[in-house]
Amino acid sequence: MTRFIDLTLNGISNGAIYAAVALAFVLIWRATRVVNFAAGGMLMITTFIASSVISSTGSYWLGFFVALATGFVLGSVVERVLIRRVEGGPPLNAVIVTIGLLILCQAVAGMIWSATPRSFPPAFSIKGYHVGSHTYLFGPFDVFTVLAVIGAAIALFALFRLTDLGLKMRAAAFEPVVARLQGVRVGHMFTLGWGLASLAGSLAGVLIGPQVFVGPNTFDPVAVFGFTAAVLGGLDSPVGALVGGLLLGLSLSYVSGYAGASLVTLAALAILVAILMVRPSGLFSSARARRI
Amino acid sequence: MLEVEDLVAAYGPVRAVDGVSLTVPSGSITAVLGANGAGKSSLLRAMSGVVRPRSGRVRFCDADITRRSPEDIVRLGLAHVPEGGGVIAELTVEENLRLGSLFRRDRGDRPKALKEVFTLFPRLEEHRRLNASSLSGGERQMLSIGRALMGRPKMLLLDEPSLGLAPLIASRIMSLIAELREKSELTVLLVEQNAKSALRVADRGVVLGVGRVVAENESAKLAADDQLRQAYLGF
Repeated sequence: MTRFIDLTLNGISNGAIYAAVALAFVLIWRATRVVNFAAGGMLMITTFIASSVISSTGSYWLGFFVALATGFVLGSVVERVLIRRVEGGPPLNAVIVTIGLLILCQAVAGMIWSATPRSFPPAFSIKGYHVGSHTYLFGPFDVFTVLAVIGAAIALFALFRLTDLGLKMRAAAFEPVVARLQGVRVGHMFTLGWGLASLAGSLAGVLIGPQVFVGPNTFDPVAVFGFTAAVLGGLDSPVGALVGGLLLGLSLSYVSGYAGASLVTLAALAILVAILMVRPSGLFSSARARRI
Repeated sequence: MLEVEDLVAAYGPVRAVDGVSLTVPSGSITAVLGANGAGKSSLLRAMSGVVRPRSGRVRFCDADITRRSPEDIVRLGLAHVPEGGGVIAELTVEENLRLGSLFRRDRGDRPKALKEVFTLFPRLEEHRRLNASSLSGGERQMLSIGRALMGRPKMLLLDEPSLGLAPLIASRIMSLIAELREKSELTVLLVEQNAKSALRVADRGVVLGVGRVVAENESAKLAADDQLRQAYLGF
């Protein structure tokens, strides 16, 4: 029983991170109908920046917030400078641009910070809580991870549902032409959407950093799991991204614990295929046709 | 209020609007009539900035708005209600309405505008928290007109507001347009395939052939022209 609880807690903690990465995919897909294959590269860059800030200033929290801020700026700039040119065009163009950007991110990171992965500090202790004689696989940093992702999700939800800006962003995402006729500056909303998505990705980066270390390629599995979670949830639903992330985190934790860690990647693929066979549009997608 | 001069709008090589000139006097209801494919919707899109005109000029309230963006044009007081209403199905009725007023700087006026729209369309107030996808065709049309009114426009461009509606609802929309002109001193450019009901509320009509103006006159005179009726208006 303690084993099951351990795996569940571990799954929730990892699931929260996959959910944050999934949000990064979903917010971009909703805004601009682009799958951002560079998401993993972008969050890797911001985590490297956080790592540099932490090691040169000694302040974890400065690094943490610098990562979020640079994530926002990086996402906005990428949309404005690169993606704007391929929006609304053939989907393949956008795919190629984001894949190119991923390769660029990895090459640049290797040049600046070297290809050898380095450790990344957690905000709080990663040692598990003791209850009686058992040490759970869930410590203060896991609590922080879950709370940070929940906090980010609530903030996004409040932005979308309760503010005028959020209403404009949703209108721009659903019906860009109609939104323009209502005076919404749709281009600005897309830039903002990319910025927020990239911020969510950066959050995931600093949260998973202590587990995977920081190197040009160490975030690739996280990006793949995050994408899987996003597709599970329907790719255009932020709530779906959260549920998808959690489901995937739990499933992979059980597979890893009961069947062996080497099966995790295969299990993610199996879950994806299974869901897409039963509900091709994902668990939470609206009924609209999808282009991908 | 609105002057269009030799306007050309094209999709690739196809000139949907091919040198149209017309004038909409302030406070009037002008109907743009013509068959499917005559270029009526394209004309509106070129006026509101959704489609960039290839040549010609559009002047609104003495300002040149040719090739300006739709976001800017709506801010000047020219509101375009697109074909089918352009209601955003994923948003609630109230969110759709609020969206129409967000560009205005006068925040304090927004609740007042909302109240006025609800007085005009009590059905919308009943359904204010529902997703717009649950509305009937007539209600959607009312919602899209209400949303345009939220921005307190000087002039409305209405694209086939009666399309696909039951005759009774369609005639209610038409009388509403007349009522809006009286009460809110709105100028209206009304695009319609149903020429008969459009000419009943409009002061003047412009008939489009394929991308060109073939006739322009007072409503009564257009309706009395047998040849024109048979060739272009279908009644």
